[in-house]
Amino acid sequence: MAVKQLPSSRAVIALLAAALLLYPLILSDPFYRDVGVTFLLAAIAASAWNIVGGYAGQVSVGHSMFFGVGAYAPLLLYTRWGWPPIAGIPAGMVLAVGLALLIGAPTFRLTGHYFSMATIAVAELIRIFFGTWDTVGAAIGLQGPATARGWWDLTFRSELPYYYIFLAALAILLLTTAAIERRRFGFYLRAIKASERAARSLGVPVRQTKMQALALSAAFTSVAGSLYVVKTGFIAPDSGFGILISVQMVIVAALGGAGTLFGPLVGALTLVPLQTVTDNWFGGGGSGLTYILYGGIIVLIARFEPGGLFEMWHRLAPRLRKRAHA
Amino acid sequence: MPEKDNLLEATDVAKAFGNFLAVAGADLVVAENEIIGLIGPNGAGKSTFFNCLAGETMPTSGRIVFAGEDLTRATPEAHARAGIGRTFQVPITFTDMTVLDNVMVGAFLRHPHRNDAREKASRIVELTGLHAEQPARSLGTPGRKRLEIARVLATEPRLLLLDESLAGLTPAELRDAIALVRRIHEMGVTIVIVEHIMEVIMTLTQRVLVFNQGHVIASGTPETVVAEEAVIEAYLGRRHRRLAAGSQPSGQGR
Amino acid sequence: MVVVQVIVGGLLVGAIYALFSAGLTLIWGMMNFINFAHGEFVMLGMYVALLVVTWLGGGPAVFSVAAACALFVLGVGIYLSLVREVIRGPMLAQILSTFGLALLLRYTAFFVFSANFVTLPQTSLTGTIELGGIFLPTAQLVAGAVAIVLTISLHVLLTHTAVGSKLLAVAEDPAAAMLMGIRPDRMQALAWGLSAAAAGIAGALLATAYPWSPSVGETFGLIAFVVVALGGFGSVLGSLYAGLIVGLIQEVSAFWLGAIYKDIVVYGLFVALLWLRPQGLLGKA
Repeated sequence: MAVKQLPSSRAVIALLAAALLLYPLILSDPFYRDVGVTFLLAAIAASAWNIVGGYAGQVSVGHSMFFGVGAYAPLLLYTRWGWPPIAGIPAGMVLAVGLALLIGAPTFRLTGHYFSMATIAVAELIRIFFGTWDTVGAAIGLQGPATARGWWDLTFRSELPYYYIFLAALAILLLTTAAIERRRFGFYLRAIKASERAARSLGVPVRQTKMQALALSAAFTSVAGSLYVVKTGFIAPDSGFGILISVQMVIVAALGGAGTLFGPLVGALTLVPLQTVTDNWFGGGGSGLTYILYGGIIVLIARFEPGGLFEMWHRLAPRLRKRAHA
Repeated sequence: MPEKDNLLEATDVAKAFGNFLAVAGADLVVAENEIIGLIGPNGAGKSTFFNCLAGETMPTSGRIVFAGEDLTRATPEAHARAGIGRTFQVPITFTDMTVLDNVMVGAFLRHPHRNDAREKASRIVELTGLHAEQPARSLGTPGRKRLEIARVLATEPRLLLLDESLAGLTPAELRDAIALVRRIHEMGVTIVIVEHIMEVIMTLTQRVLVFNQGHVIASGTPETVVAEEAVIEAYLGRRHRRLAAGSQPSGQGR
Repeated sequence: MVVVQVIVGGLLVGAIYALFSAGLTLIWGMMNFINFAHGEFVMLGMYVALLVVTWLGGGPAVFSVAAACALFVLGVGIYLSLVREVIRGPMLAQILSTFGLALLLRYTAFFVFSANFVTLPQTSLTGTIELGGIFLPTAQLVAGAVAIVLTISLHVLLTHTAVGSKLLAVAEDPAAAMLMGIRPDRMQALAWGLSAAAAGIAGALLATAYPWSPSVGETFGLIAFVVVALGGFGSVLGSLYAGLIVGLIQEVSAFWLGAIYKDIVVYGLFVALLWLRPQGLLGKA
């Protein structure tokens, strides 16, 4: 486990935490703060996916269904009953867990590629459905409060409060994941990833464990969706349930190192600035370039370094150290 | 034997895959702390029968009763919880984890708390002569087989099903492995072992069942069984001569 | 009469669905591997057709063959450089490999060709035909017919030729096939070539009759999944029946319920199939 092995890693983590805390105060320009918020959002979503996709090895490419549920819940509560969007966060979590329990049972009967495909299909189905459902605004979607009625509406002018709220959420998620890693649940997840057959023979309740992982992952993914919508103030089927959202979660986690605690964070640290740069090439029309780059990166990772940057670091670091001492 | 002494009673177990009858009515009665051997040519139904005992395959008919509990339709997890452990013909280790972590997965069955599980796992790692912090993927085949045994031992099984866990070892490794199995037996575990290696059968087992074409065609002590006509006939060619000549040091695994 | 038109139209487009799905199911059956970029192969076939027409002035026959050849090479190339390696590794890498490829191909196409929908300029197939009171674009009719012929040909190739039996042997049991002197690696490369070629020709055929943009890859990919799920993973003949059915369902749903609902019907069918009958109509589980 990453935390245990390197004696200097405690220092690194402390440094990272300090950097994250101070970042928006040091780089206070709205542009940098916005990048920071985007980075945190990506890290949260990818870390949430990581629980079931990285640790348990169940490669879901349909996690946008949970993100979307978490995104729609706050605005639905607001548009129908005038509730502050923040109340939608727990509501979204409940709905997401419900969805996970509903689709988990039949979908987990499938394995490998079939499972991934099923998750894509279910997410797409939900996206299309929301596009036709008038209660949630069909293709147009929903909007949040334009001006704040009180602090609880969370419509801040500055990015700063959003940043710290998101940071808190990320911290909670990482602490939860770290706790899982140390306990029986975490061991069982990794056993399932390695071999369900062997895991069963050792008494691991495979079906229930996978369901729990999915439910937990769904809940946190939903939080990411809720936070996103609290910040941006509107949602539509494509921005909530689009397949690119699912893919991005997977890429960010895989790039850094799926199945590791800080992998998704590292992935987000790499990809978000990269995306910001490529999005601004060619004067904004470069978003096509962003995805070309994404695609290329994913293929390279899959082909040469499936363990992500973390794995690469573990492989190269001893060699670099040797050279330094030589 | 009176019923209450028997740890495992498999009665008339049959398993059909479509039209193919892999196991055609096999009986097995194992008393506490016995060591039983299962031999037979490939395709005879041993592995399928084994998988039925382990809960991985559901028998088409028949009954499997373990320590008084009917496990015929139970899941592999339920079998493990009841006290039946197994190894795999091709060892399946958790390659991304260390040796200790592998064994801990097993230990967690009876010790849900991490520190207890780790303590138990450490003891077993020591007992089996493995290195706790070694990554499982760096183990060779004998190491992986040993790890599998350590890991399943951590689940504290009353009955251990070993599926060719001693195949493909050098003579020295084989001797160590046999010693390990003996030690496990001395700890009070009941063992059923599928093997092709005659040395293992002759020296370790107290009773042997011979499978052929889905049936048990002979059973008894190792000495009586290898001399039976039916058994010799079940094997062809070279095996026929080897059996007739008596045991030899480690034969080929398959 | 309109109903008949809708039905025939659905069957015709379904025939082409069958063709490219047959390619997907071939890989699936051989390697238990899903090519998430398969829809992009179809899309590329469409653009090859466009390029051949605009640069070389070739007709449908020419650009169909060109699409088949170009995609065949691409398929083999992808197998050798990417798939062969990742398939031995972790599941995440396998899924990501063709997913990344799909993104790469799709957005490169957006970049090169723009997101605008295009159609082929006038070809020998432009115009309509009247059959028993209904009017059909000639291109649709010809494309559908050719697609059926090609799909059946693929099936015949697999079941009645030496090459086909080698492919099936590798699909069944690579180790045993090796013992019989067959090279699984070569057969798998061939399968990828055939699969991509089927997608490519299907794309060229679609290009003659329907407008498209780089975004269609995603749609066709999902349709291929539905067809394969319905027809059975690994069964070319199943793809034929299923493709026709899916095309039919799609067009009838659009006609009956409205265009926005047709996708729900198709994907709903897909999810139901995955959950209730993973082995499809004719395929192996």
